[in-house]
Amino acid sequence: MTASTDRSTLDPRKKGLLLPDFCAPDSVITVVVITELVAIVVTLARSELMVAGSVWPDLATTSLFLLWIGLCSAAVLCRTREHLARLPVPRAAILALALLLLVTALISEAAWWLGQYWDQLRLRGGGDARRHLHFLGTNLLICLIVGTLALRYFYVAQQWRRNVQLEATTRVNALQARIRPHFLFNSMNTIAALTRQEPALAEEAVEDLADLFRASLRDSSAPLTLKEEMEVARIYQRIEQLRLGDRLRVVWRVKSLPLRAEIPALSLQPLLENAIYHGIEPRPDGGEIVIDGAEVSSGMIEITISNPLPAPGDQSRRQGNQIALSNITQRFELAYGGRARISYGPEGERYVVRLRFPRVEGA
Amino acid sequence: MIKVLVVDDEAPARDRLVQLVEDIGDFAVVGTAGDGREALELVESSSPDIVLMDIRMPRMDGIEAAGHLSHLEQPPAVIFVTAFDDYALKAFETAAVGYILKPVRRARLEEGLARAARPTRAQLASINPEDRQRRHISARSGDHLHLIPVHDVRYFRAEQKYVSVRHGGGSHLIDESLKELEEEFAEEFVRIHRNALVAIRHIEAVEKGDGGQLQVRLRECEDTLPVSRRHTAGLRRKVQSA
Repeated sequence: MTASTDRSTLDPRKKGLLLPDFCAPDSVITVVVITELVAIVVTLARSELMVAGSVWPDLATTSLFLLWIGLCSAAVLCRTREHLARLPVPRAAILALALLLLVTALISEAAWWLGQYWDQLRLRGGGDARRHLHFLGTNLLICLIVGTLALRYFYVAQQWRRNVQLEATTRVNALQARIRPHFLFNSMNTIAALTRQEPALAEEAVEDLADLFRASLRDSSAPLTLKEEMEVARIYQRIEQLRLGDRLRVVWRVKSLPLRAEIPALSLQPLLENAIYHGIEPRPDGGEIVIDGAEVSSGMIEITISNPLPAPGDQSRRQGNQIALSNITQRFELAYGGRARISYGPEGERYVVRLRFPRVEGA
Repeated sequence: MIKVLVVDDEAPARDRLVQLVEDIGDFAVVGTAGDGREALELVESSSPDIVLMDIRMPRMDGIEAAGHLSHLEQPPAVIFVTAFDDYALKAFETAAVGYILKPVRRARLEEGLARAARPTRAQLASINPEDRQRRHISARSGDHLHLIPVHDVRYFRAEQKYVSVRHGGGSHLIDESLKELEEEFAEEFVRIHRNALVAIRHIEAVEKGDGGQLQVRLRECEDTLPVSRRHTAGLRRKVQSA
């Protein structure tokens, strides 16, 4: 944790996941297929007005025209993808549509003037301004409808593909999220020490350890209530308290949290573990971990966990363990699909992890 | 009686070791320390025969402390006590350094104490589990270990047989080579001459001296050090990226 000094945000959209890569061959093929289907629909719709039997030349010109639009749009989206990926989904979608409309307008204009110039082109290059406007307006309207449907299709397909991937990695990560062996051995050692001097404490520690393991063996894909999850973290804290004594001070400011709201299982405990590992253990006098929780705005819950940064000379002594963080980020992403936000980084003298997720209450 | 020093940052772990050592007989615990630095001080004042040393500790970890101990004229034997995972254990095995696993078993502790030996510097170097740098440089004067925090070091300079360390509190001789120091502290120090390694954070200016020779001026240190032509480019790169 301490290894990463810059403030990073594990926002899922950052990875450019709104749309697929339009430069990739399979996306280009999909674009061509969609364009051709539209060309056929447009040609068929017009066909009864025309002389029977001569749909082919019309299909060919329509295809040529639409392929220009389709492929240029794909190229533009391919180029702007990284930029779009940084925007929130609705804004990115509107911008992408606007780009499509722009491409359509430009190519329609070009076709119109080309038709004027080159008479036999069958785009009915007629001449008067009303027909010109009509041509442009129709094209833009068709583009708006088809573009919206196509973008929606790509977005959904992309989401689906990503969820499949996420689910696979999450499963692996859920295994890793379980308690570190190092912690187990240290706790056992503490219990062995307590057995003689303070048998009652040792007894409690064994019970706590058992509870903690039971919690970690639970199906981690099922959410817990905040109350249950905080209980797991508190059990963990009790065990660490025995080991670290007054070096470990934890302040919980969670009174206003809705206790029945759900949270992915094993999300607070690993963060507390990280805070102790990076913020308390390297300091001879320990320090204070603060856990703040509140419902911040309409239906969003925010929980922050902060710990003191190690002294300047001590930095990078403990290699960052980003596993817990990326693991929690993925599980939140899977549970809330882009509506959760996890950020972390140093803020002043402290390292702060901030979880923000929608309030959901189970049955 | 064989004198044992117990070093661990966790009170229960310390208590347990003290208990077990006293149970065994023939051994007496002469002190307990909460981190590596405290351990070094206690080694000097109570000269134990064996140090039971935890690895992960604040301020100075066990491996670094053992490294400094090895510079003493009569270093105590060191047994590491660890709850580390497989990777570190393998390193311990290959280096043939004495170690005991947590939770500590009495029989295993007894065996360890009976076979306790001094780890050599080469052994210690090979078990560095996280590829870490030391936080201190130790200079020995007689039987006293002088610890110099690395961030306080202005420069290292090779002088005939020894290397001198110039730091905030003066200058000391150490028995290490510039080449090894350069490798270990590659991020914080830069070689500016065949015989000099300078702390990047203390460089105030790189300038032309009276004779047209490039030289480095340091903060809070009146010495200026000549830069050799061969190291000019490397110095520029490091100072600019710092």
